Amino acid sequence: MLRYLTSRTLATIVMALLSTLIVFLIASLVPGDPVLAQLGDLAASNPEIVKAYRAKWGLDLPLYEQYWIFLKNLANGDLGISISTQRPVLADIRQFAPATVELGTIAFILSMAIGIPLGVAAAVGRDSWIDHWARFVSLIGVSSPVFWLAFIMLTIFYGWLQIMPGPGRIDPIELPPPTVTGSFLVDSALAGKWELLHTVAAHLVLPSIVLCAATLGLITRTTRASMLETLGQDYVRVARAKGLRERAVIVAHALPNALIPVVTLAGLAYANLLTGTVMTETIFSWPGLGLYTFRAALALDIPSIMGMTLVFAVVYLLINWLVDMSYAVLDPRVLKR
Amino acid sequence: MSELAAAAPVAAPAEPRRLTAAQRWRRRYGLATLGGAIIVLWIIVAIAAPLLAPYPPDLVDVTRRLKPPSSEYWFGTDMLGRDVFSRLLFGARVSLFAGIVVVILGAAFGTLLGGIAAYAGHRAEEALMRFTDLMLCFPPIILAMAIAAAMGIGTLNTMAAMLVVWWPKFARLARSLVLVQRGQEYVEAAHVIGYGPGRVLLKHILPNSIGPLIVLVTLDVGHAIIVFAGLSFLGLGVVPPTPEWGAMVSENRQLVEQWWGATFPGLAILSVVMGFNFLGDGIRDWLDPRARRR
Amino acid sequence: MNRDSIHSITRRDLMRLLGIGGGAAIGAGLPGFEALAQSRKDTLVIGMDIRDTNNLDPVRDLHYTPPMTVHACYDTLLTMDPGDYITLKPALATKWERTPDGKGWRFTLRDNVKFVTGNKMTAQDVKYSLDRVNYIGYQAAQYLTNVAEFKVVDEKTIDVMLKNPIEPILTILAAPSFSITDSKVVAEKGGDATPQSKDKDKATEWLNQNSVGTGPYKLVGWERGAQIQLVANPTYWGGKPPYQRVVIRHFEDSAAQLLSLRRGDIDAAFNLLPEQLTTLKDDKDLWIKEHDSLDFIYIALTHNPEFNKALAVKEARQAVAYAIDYDGIIKNLLGGAGIRPPNFIPAGLLGATEQLTKEIGFREDLDRAKKLLAQAGFPDGFEFEIIYGNGAIAGTTYHVLGQKLQADLGRVGIKLKLNPMPQVNLRTLYNGGKMSATLVYWNPPAVENALWSWATVQRVAKRLHWTPPADLVKLVDDAATETDPKKAEALYIEYQKRMVDVANLIVLFQPRYQVGVCKTIKDLPLTAAGWQLEVGGVKPSA
Repeated sequence: MLRYLTSRTLATIVMALLSTLIVFLIASLVPGDPVLAQLGDLAASNPEIVKAYRAKWGLDLPLYEQYWIFLKNLANGDLGISISTQRPVLADIRQFAPATVELGTIAFILSMAIGIPLGVAAAVGRDSWIDHWARFVSLIGVSSPVFWLAFIMLTIFYGWLQIMPGPGRIDPIELPPPTVTGSFLVDSALAGKWELLHTVAAHLVLPSIVLCAATLGLITRTTRASMLETLGQDYVRVARAKGLRERAVIVAHALPNALIPVVTLAGLAYANLLTGTVMTETIFSWPGLGLYTFRAALALDIPSIMGMTLVFAVVYLLINWLVDMSYAVLDPRVLKR
Repeated sequence: MSELAAAAPVAAPAEPRRLTAAQRWRRRYGLATLGGAIIVLWIIVAIAAPLLAPYPPDLVDVTRRLKPPSSEYWFGTDMLGRDVFSRLLFGARVSLFAGIVVVILGAAFGTLLGGIAAYAGHRAEEALMRFTDLMLCFPPIILAMAIAAAMGIGTLNTMAAMLVVWWPKFARLARSLVLVQRGQEYVEAAHVIGYGPGRVLLKHILPNSIGPLIVLVTLDVGHAIIVFAGLSFLGLGVVPPTPEWGAMVSENRQLVEQWWGATFPGLAILSVVMGFNFLGDGIRDWLDPRARRR
Repeated sequence: MNRDSIHSITRRDLMRLLGIGGGAAIGAGLPGFEALAQSRKDTLVIGMDIRDTNNLDPVRDLHYTPPMTVHACYDTLLTMDPGDYITLKPALATKWERTPDGKGWRFTLRDNVKFVTGNKMTAQDVKYSLDRVNYIGYQAAQYLTNVAEFKVVDEKTIDVMLKNPIEPILTILAAPSFSITDSKVVAEKGGDATPQSKDKDKATEWLNQNSVGTGPYKLVGWERGAQIQLVANPTYWGGKPPYQRVVIRHFEDSAAQLLSLRRGDIDAAFNLLPEQLTTLKDDKDLWIKEHDSLDFIYIALTHNPEFNKALAVKEARQAVAYAIDYDGIIKNLLGGAGIRPPNFIPAGLLGATEQLTKEIGFREDLDRAKKLLAQAGFPDGFEFEIIYGNGAIAGTTYHVLGQKLQADLGRVGIKLKLNPMPQVNLRTLYNGGKMSATLVYWNPPAVENALWSWATVQRVAKRLHWTPPADLVKLVDDAATETDPKKAEALYIEYQKRMVDVANLIVLFQPRYQVGVCKTIKDLPLTAAGWQLEVGGVKPSA
């Protein structure tokens, strides 16, 4: 067990480091010179200034040295300084992460809370209208382009019906709650600002629906398939034969087993929600990591892109690692391989 | 059906309800057929776009800009006075082409790599699969964004960027499929007869594992179309004035009052992606007897 | 107006349908609106795309949007009133004259001006602030290269000594980068104004969240990519500011800005598209504030035959210039919200007027373009590539403009290949002179004719691989140093004629700022001098 744990953990760390290397190689292909974009038009025409600027950010060194510096700093928890925001990437990430975590988490909860019951209902009532509708809805969810869905939702619910608040985390007039956790929901509750909590919750509705649409479909489909399989198992038949009520059979016997693959998928779904917010955040002016990454990519801000890729890769690897670990716990056969 | 009958509160017949042949067929293949039909329709549109489009797709006339849908302009006109309907029809070419080509190339490369890895085993397998895992840990759209930004904007460049992030999932799937098949008796038999590993892989193992691959490919074309449109939407896709759906949504999405410019291309993406998902979903049901509908 | 009544009915119906009276029941209505009504009246909320805001420390690079905030919190020695970019007005300096030796300028400071920190503003603060700009050495320092020294004469007098006394400096000092900061507090927070300040200065982080100026408002917080918070400066020397609070709220796109404005969530929307503004015109709760800017979008064409054989020929460049449908761009794409200067000096400055554009500027003339093509040796036209960035100016994206140009030039057989790219790559290629043509934007850091004209014969010329004739360079220098406005005007007109003939820079339009404003605001003094809006001058109605 311990050996499996350490080998998986080591592999995860190595992968995280390799992922930075890949990004570095891509960055080296970039024809643009970020320095020129950051300096004003006049300053960029002065070779002296350009040189000093390059030296300051270590951009005049050969690539492998830049990478080495990056790794050394990383060991000290330093991700370098963003060229476009001109402050530590870590400070940027710390500032933008809470918005993304909050949005991603709400979207995740939403997709599980709707997806699992829907999937179960579809499996139990197979071929009934609910099954057909669940199938249809989940296929639509998977098929809608996020950027378009966001536009339509904003236009209908904010612009036309006016029952939802607009982009951003809070109304323009409001001040954010005093920072404790970074989640506006939690912070405004902690501060006892119920009006604000209300606003914050309302602002989360549209973006989290848009963000979870695809995941919701996936969860529904997986739950349905897994539930169908479980319902055909012998022990479920036995439970029925014993004369248990159908509700008890489904909730107490079939569901727990049917949920195992869903839990595995849920881990990956959560990772995807956290790292897949670029479009949603761009359209909803959501000040999170997705928006930050998008801007960094457009500005070819290499330290930021590196930092973000690392963060996203680590989040992904971490969740994968957790899934691996949970496998080991749930299915001891894994350890024997 | 018997166990399900118990779950159904209304009428619980002891034996399956009698369905006519047509009903049974519709239940089993209905959605897939619908999906297939949508795709065929779009392919026809893509091929026949020059015949179907009432106007050239890049005919600029700023005096007729942002006209609402009418009998003259079915889907209205955009900011440059171009006919949205005509651009939509031509846009099918780009989206379908990009989606299908990326997935087929990605699947071919990924399957080959995964197959080789599984078949080779040992060190080579370990190295190849770790590399695959590495590529999988990047959020595809972010990596594609960085690559597209680095290589410059253009349909082919964007497709290349997508390919970089597209093959790994096929490699994973192919590997697991081959691993299952490798232990089968017929493979061992082939070895005994003296067939080379390449021949066994291509002639015996792949044909037997092709089903799940086809499902993934079909479902994935839809996904690829969305990602390509998304990159275009972010300004990293096609070179203007190429009509492309994601770029069309992006160009027009600011115009809330002139909703037609962004709404119709969005619906086009939705419909074609739904087509692929219906078809893929149907094929999956058909291949997987447990999930098969009656 | 019809549309609005439909909206409200729909909404009420929907509410009734859902069985709810107000927004509260569905947890997403208009939360806490009444509770906020009081503070809402005292707060000015500005909706704007502020993604380029990187710094609010005046000495650092200020891109397009930060100057507005900086100008709201700080004052400069001199300033310019909205609409008049030729006459300088007193700000922190009440009087300025040549130093007795004639080698610089002497400024007399305003009496009894206090910083928002409570400290008194003195000549020492002025010296510290300007030295800090100079030594930190970012973009703004480039405009001080002619300064020999900032010399404190006494507590309320400071001299700016120049290397070349006749080169312009006053107009430059009116830019927000040359804001006066409280030297004591800045130094306390790690500021440095010595020749080593490039490495030693550490005050920026703090100045990004707080301001220590003499302006009408005070910065109290900046949440990157979300909003900037200002509060009134009670000790402002110009009188009590009209609002308690100012919020500059970031919007990634204009559709959301329009919706927020209609709902009254914001008081002014800065990034609306022409079509969106058209729909505002018949809304009784809103009005539109317009103001001609000094920014423009231009096309630069190379002289280097290696990049494009045809463009190296003057007549071919002129053919491009005569094939463009300028009026169509301004009238249709911009909804009429723009003007066109004769050449590289914006209309509204000395010697540049729209009238002059009609007399000497380019105009659409396809026959002439075809003739010019034949003269250039390309009777069937030619092909060239144009690079541009992903962005929008006055609501019109380069993307749309590029496609319009493509269609226009196509009429005379010139094939335009569009090459959009990230801003960084664009800058790299343009600054390095590695492109055949580009479509870009020019906005002035300070309002001074010479900053435009020098650029055309110096760094822009270099990028286009063009060696301007010596007499043209001399003409530019003469115009810059001419102190008699009449004579300077004549020189600048001559300069523009020469540039039109060279035809390597084609200015498409100078957008007119159009801001959607709520009726709750009486006055919104926009300016083209570089900071977009006199935040301190915004007044509520009633």
